[in-house]
Amino acid sequence: MLQPLRETCRRLLDDGTVQVVIGYGQAMRAVEPYPVFITDPNDVGQLVWNEQCRTNLVKYLLRQEIRALGKPAIVVKGCDERALVVLEQESQIERSEIVVIGVACDGMAEARCEVCDAHQPRFADHTIGHATNKEQSAERRYAHLAEFQERPIADRMDYWKAELERCVKCYACRQSCPLCYCQRCIVEKNRPAVLDTSPTLKGNFAWHIVRAFHLAGRCVGCDQCSRVCPEGIDLRLLNQSMARASEASFGHRSGTDPQAELVLGNFSKQDQEQFIR
Amino acid sequence: MTNIYQPDLMEVLDVQQQTADVKSVRVRFRDEARSDDFHFRVGQFGMFSLFGYGESTFNICSSSNWKDFVEFCFRRTGRVTEALWSLEKNDTIGFRGPYGNSYPMDKWVGKNLIFIGGGIAMPPLRCAIWYALENRGQFGDITIVYGARRAQDLVFRKELDRWAEYDRVRVVRCVDPGGETPDWTGEVGFVPAVTEQAQIPADNAVALVIGPPVMIKFTLPVLAKMGLADRDIYTSLENRMKCGVGKCGRCNCGPVYVCKEGPVFTLEQLKALPSDY
Amino acid sequence: MSQIISQPAIRRLVKQWLREGKRVVAPVQIRPDLVSYQPVRSADQFLLDGFIRPLNSIKEVVFPRHEQLFQYRVRGKQIDLLPAPLPDIERIVLAARPCDAAALPILDHVFNWESRDAAYNQRRKLTTVVALACMEHDAHCFCTSLGGGPDDTRGSDALLFDLGDDTLEVRCVTDKGQNLFAGQTESSTRTAPSVPGPERQADLQQVGQQLEQAFERSDWAAWTNRCLGCGACAFGCPACHCFDMVDEGGPTCGARVRNWDACQFGQFTLHASGHNPRSAQSQRQRQRIYHKFHVYPQKFGELLCTGCGNCTRNCPVSLGVLPVLEAMQAEGA
Repeated sequence: MLQPLRETCRRLLDDGTVQVVIGYGQAMRAVEPYPVFITDPNDVGQLVWNEQCRTNLVKYLLRQEIRALGKPAIVVKGCDERALVVLEQESQIERSEIVVIGVACDGMAEARCEVCDAHQPRFADHTIGHATNKEQSAERRYAHLAEFQERPIADRMDYWKAELERCVKCYACRQSCPLCYCQRCIVEKNRPAVLDTSPTLKGNFAWHIVRAFHLAGRCVGCDQCSRVCPEGIDLRLLNQSMARASEASFGHRSGTDPQAELVLGNFSKQDQEQFIR
Repeated sequence: MTNIYQPDLMEVLDVQQQTADVKSVRVRFRDEARSDDFHFRVGQFGMFSLFGYGESTFNICSSSNWKDFVEFCFRRTGRVTEALWSLEKNDTIGFRGPYGNSYPMDKWVGKNLIFIGGGIAMPPLRCAIWYALENRGQFGDITIVYGARRAQDLVFRKELDRWAEYDRVRVVRCVDPGGETPDWTGEVGFVPAVTEQAQIPADNAVALVIGPPVMIKFTLPVLAKMGLADRDIYTSLENRMKCGVGKCGRCNCGPVYVCKEGPVFTLEQLKALPSDY
Repeated sequence: MSQIISQPAIRRLVKQWLREGKRVVAPVQIRPDLVSYQPVRSADQFLLDGFIRPLNSIKEVVFPRHEQLFQYRVRGKQIDLLPAPLPDIERIVLAARPCDAAALPILDHVFNWESRDAAYNQRRKLTTVVALACMEHDAHCFCTSLGGGPDDTRGSDALLFDLGDDTLEVRCVTDKGQNLFAGQTESSTRTAPSVPGPERQADLQQVGQQLEQAFERSDWAAWTNRCLGCGACAFGCPACHCFDMVDEGGPTCGARVRNWDACQFGQFTLHASGHNPRSAQSQRQRQRIYHKFHVYPQKFGELLCTGCGNCTRNCPVSLGVLPVLEAMQAEGA
């Protein structure tokens, strides 16, 4: 896998198809792989691929520092790729200006990998390796959430209080999220100040609920937010509950179908609107 | 130990609208005793606040010889200044200060003074100008070059005429081309060019230059040509601040905390700072 | 001769401290893979071994992430300010890592620089720090580069050493530590062997020299461009102390509060005019390195880092100070 990956990247840089490859590098085995930005074809040896490449690199397509490096090629897994689909649907990227290198992935030893149905990238320009995509029922995909929701509501409230009590508002969730791209996040707007910036229980509830709402029908379930949270808050539960609602009510699974209409970006006469009376 | 973050209450004595988006406000301590023992040096700043909206940093633009009130001036541009805009007589605001270093008026004794300002930068010059005029005998020729985009953007317009009445004081007003009104009698042109042509007595002189970065950038070579050394050119930095007392870290720039070791710097000192302000 | 105490005896002590109304903060397992300093509610809840380093720091005991500075009440033209009461609860930090404890005397400088921060100093006075010497380290630890080590006593009032079989050696460092353990320990001939510290190193002398000249280097982007601009490094750091001050509440009542802030946020230095002195992420990373390894030591004589490695551990993309220092050193002066 690694050799063809490096060769593909070298070729793309060599012939000037792209100016930068966004991929994974690793300084030592004890430290997780991290994003690297290769601009010199002779540096492709820095690229790595292993079962620790958990970061969703798609976020970097939106960062001005990386955009400034020129036309990019980006290494994605089948799950990361879904964020590209949404970014294109939301007009945040021009797909033709990005070369997508999909890498087949057998799982990164994360909980979400057990119910993954995107081991093999589907929309990449170049695909490295081969994996088989397994059908996963919605029950299976949302089993984690369903299990949580079986708990009595008071328990769940206690759970969120204990979890969100720890949030320090470092915004690692937002900064890592490939779909959080607002120029000025609502929590930073102060005229008027809508959300408390304080990392209090009140401010933290408001922040995470608003963020989940903003990702409703958009979140692709890459779980970066949960993975990067230094306090280990399982934000996946919030996002999954939005995703399940979007799937149940609108048949929409974000980032799986480039032709699909956006749930919140479109009006359809078939939309359920019993709540509007 | 007192709470260094808790402001004193001040009563609004008078509000003057200076331009379409600039107002000046005179305030006095609600506590008589605090009023009596309050001293500051021209060039220092204060943290002015409206409760429920927050604090902002402004230069104290009144002369340190004035004992009846403290004056500040602001442009309506953010959350706090938007709220301050509706201040009326008898309203109460919060004040912490005075903070920072000051203009070395003692060192300037016996020298010709050149004040150069652009737009909203008049207030931090004004305190020093009044101080110099009130101690007129201590200083040589005083030249004030003040420019704005348009005639109606000049702040403390009426005072310009009063200053010009003093002995050996020259006030050079200018507006950008196209910014003049039919009755405009001042210069038309940009501050650096106007300064260059104004034949300012520059021997044994110090200059205080405050304004937009682009104005400062092009005025500095003019002053150098006039023979001013870097150590005789002063300015006041406007870094974003929160605490004002060297704790919160926000205004740190290279080796200095602007709130404590500034805001007043000579060009010589500025050149030793990293370009991070 | 040494002084020793058993784990059950320590837990009994904690029970007593809690009964006396003291606040006890200690490492708590919050998830199978995560340990965090948390207020302890019961004596069997905290860890005395089996962890490398909590994800957060003990700075929160003296410098909380959120605190009210004062409250305001507005009635018509009448405004009253109600000062926040000074903290009065005694705090005991138990099983802090030496790299956490060492940050407290470093923080004392800035919170007492000419003007004194009353609430900080009061909490500091009320706090007793009992550190737990390290038996292990991970790939991110680099305390030895900063003059620290597994049994560093800076900032600690007492230091515990794990002797195995549920026994700890107690070495009191200050009177506060002595008072805390007076009459609670037994004499013994057992002493803890010294444990080697982490090998991964940064040559801070070389870094200091490089920083004299490094500000304008174009490499900052290459060294730091994977930074995503969050505050995970700063908030988990025992020494980072930047804060924000905002008003929360309505026009009639509310409070001015201070919250932790981080220099990696794009808004941190943004002027109302729209000008931002540090508009690029690499400039913000550069500031973080300079503040810790150049500015703070110049001003206060101590580095603003204890080598705990939390910045890298908490970083979504494994950055933090050590990787940057290593990249800088690899480039040479």
